[in-house]
Amino acid sequence: MKAGYNCCAVARSGERGARSGEREAGSREKEAGGTNSNEPNERQNFSERKRMNFVEEPDNLSVEQVASAMVGIYDRRGKRLEQYQDVIRERPVTLYLNGREMVTLLCAGHHLDELAAGFFYAEGFLNSPEDILGIDVNDEAGAVNVSAGGDVSIPESLWQKRTISSGCAKGSLFYFSLDALLSKPVKSDIRITPGQLLDRVEDLNRLSETYRRTHGVHNTALAEPDRVVLFRDDIGRHNAVDMIVGHVFLHGIPLWDKMLITTGRLTSEMLIKAAKVGIPVVVSRNTATSLAVELAVSLEVTLIGHVRAGKFTVYNGQERIDAGLPG
Amino acid sequence: MPVYLDNAATSFPKPKAVIEAAGRALECVGASPGRGAHRHAREAMAIVSDCRRKAAEVLGVKDPDRIVFTKNATESINLVLKGWLRPGDRVLYSAMEHNSVVRPLSKLASRGVNIEMIPCSPGGALDLGVLKLMLRSEARLVVLVHVSNVNGALMPVAEAAEECARARVPLFLDAAQSAGVQPIEAEELGIGMLACSGHKALLGPAGVGILYVRPDLDVLPLMEGGTGSRSEELEQPEFCPDRYESGTPNLPGLAGLCAGIGYILETGMNRIRDNEIGIAHHLENELWQIPGVRVLEPEKRGSGAVSFLVAGMNPADTGSILDQAFDIAVRTGLHCAPLAHRTIGTFPEGTVRISPGFSTTMENAEYFLNGLRWLVTRRG
Repeated sequence: MKAGYNCCAVARSGERGARSGEREAGSREKEAGGTNSNEPNERQNFSERKRMNFVEEPDNLSVEQVASAMVGIYDRRGKRLEQYQDVIRERPVTLYLNGREMVTLLCAGHHLDELAAGFFYAEGFLNSPEDILGIDVNDEAGAVNVSAGGDVSIPESLWQKRTISSGCAKGSLFYFSLDALLSKPVKSDIRITPGQLLDRVEDLNRLSETYRRTHGVHNTALAEPDRVVLFRDDIGRHNAVDMIVGHVFLHGIPLWDKMLITTGRLTSEMLIKAAKVGIPVVVSRNTATSLAVELAVSLEVTLIGHVRAGKFTVYNGQERIDAGLPG
Repeated sequence: MPVYLDNAATSFPKPKAVIEAAGRALECVGASPGRGAHRHAREAMAIVSDCRRKAAEVLGVKDPDRIVFTKNATESINLVLKGWLRPGDRVLYSAMEHNSVVRPLSKLASRGVNIEMIPCSPGGALDLGVLKLMLRSEARLVVLVHVSNVNGALMPVAEAAEECARARVPLFLDAAQSAGVQPIEAEELGIGMLACSGHKALLGPAGVGILYVRPDLDVLPLMEGGTGSRSEELEQPEFCPDRYESGTPNLPGLAGLCAGIGYILETGMNRIRDNEIGIAHHLENELWQIPGVRVLEPEKRGSGAVSFLVAGMNPADTGSILDQAFDIAVRTGLHCAPLAHRTIGTFPEGTVRISPGFSTTMENAEYFLNGLRWLVTRRG
């Protein structure tokens, strides 16, 4: 089924995915300033969503994501209670590029078009949405093929290749060549108040019904200072971020005024992924690693961690925090 | 298409004659030169003598016996600095020197030698006025690189030699990058000592260095040992080259070097230099056209070495991508010359250096430029 992206064609074998694609196409056209949307309902729905605190409703209540398992719950004395409990689904999904098998991800199995687009964009195989000729999602088989125009042989030759320094100078912070190629300092004059930041992290926690039911997913949100604009969750924190990246890539959403909020650790990989697509602020309830901090300095990303109990730690980029204090 | 642009480190590929000569020395000659009277030893000696004659010719030295073979330019440099300088001596060196000069000098400074740097411009040119002023005070030695290994900058050797001669201070020339591409008239210029390697523009295999010492300069040897001459005496011979050549020489290396210099003399150094520097100029011009690329241009070019930077990228990353995606060999970082990089303002990350050689073609240069253009475009 064609989902009607401007930039590409998305075909799905599962109905849920198709619905999701149709709805999001509408929001893209508005946000990206597209001109080919002439459906009043789409615009109206968008406006309604706009009035809410986030543009997209959470799409994680699907029964497909959550399974049920009979479990035994024990206490210290050995007392046992048998009951059904929700568990997050885990499934392998293989991503193909122009029919060539590239990687198999273990994931919750939703938003597979975004997952694939985000993965290949973040890995440097795709440069612009126009590079995508089509995305074929086969839910049943757990397979996604991205048909890309242009020559992908050069990124392929660099993919997962380690940057090699000669030891004859101050070396690179990057360990993969494609990361070094595609990561650039993020220029943005976004300003966030502490209150806005704490509120958006609270929003992240509220949005994940799946987490409440299963405690088995990482949550990730793309947010402006005043609202969450996109929410994704997955068993893997990178998958959730790739879905966000895929969504903004496919829909041409500007990122200079947004922050990425995740429940995962703030590692170098997370930081690089954000910088590659141009997100100026990365936030987590968790803490940051040393390399993530070094990269945040180099790539001019505001890195905020340990958001707990009304406080947070800014590892880099305090100039984007609007504390409202004189001087 | 594999493209090798690291000839400033070592030339590659070598002329076929070099490979054949080195192979023949191993396969057919094999003996230790000057250490026997049999045919093999005599033939080995003939190869070494031939190499000495050719090296003397290419360096502008009349007496081939003033040419000393070492294991590399670094050994030649160490030999001069440690055999000539004593505690309390004052030595001047340029701000473009390689670590092969700077590190031994640093060691000597810890032993009481006074080392003073002659400033250079950001383009790598020696300030002759300052040299002149610095030579007003007594000095034991001036050390000067002929051509920078970082950006190919050519030093005003004739003028510096004149100033040194006026002050009666020997000039020690590091010709590692210039020997084979720049005409050198060591004796005519009154150069005191000269060091160079055999495996760069002289096209020989690695493992041979060259040293020239003017007859009036009593440079002490770095080591003593068997020379195949005056073996009845316990003291090291005082005559050149035996004074500085203890131990068995590197015959295959010398045979290859002999063929390498032979190739240069046959082809014509001017022709080789014109090709190398012509490609370097073309590369410089084209690099400036690529958005975000900055070339670290020398004031005057003496070799094909071109240094550049891609805005916002560590040179090591640029080099890795060129290697992995396009099979283009370049050298990145500080090129063992941190002092030179401080001078041209590229310390501590260094630069990407491309250095065409005698066999580099315009097609190779275009392939490199297209690879870099892809990199810059993809980076956005």
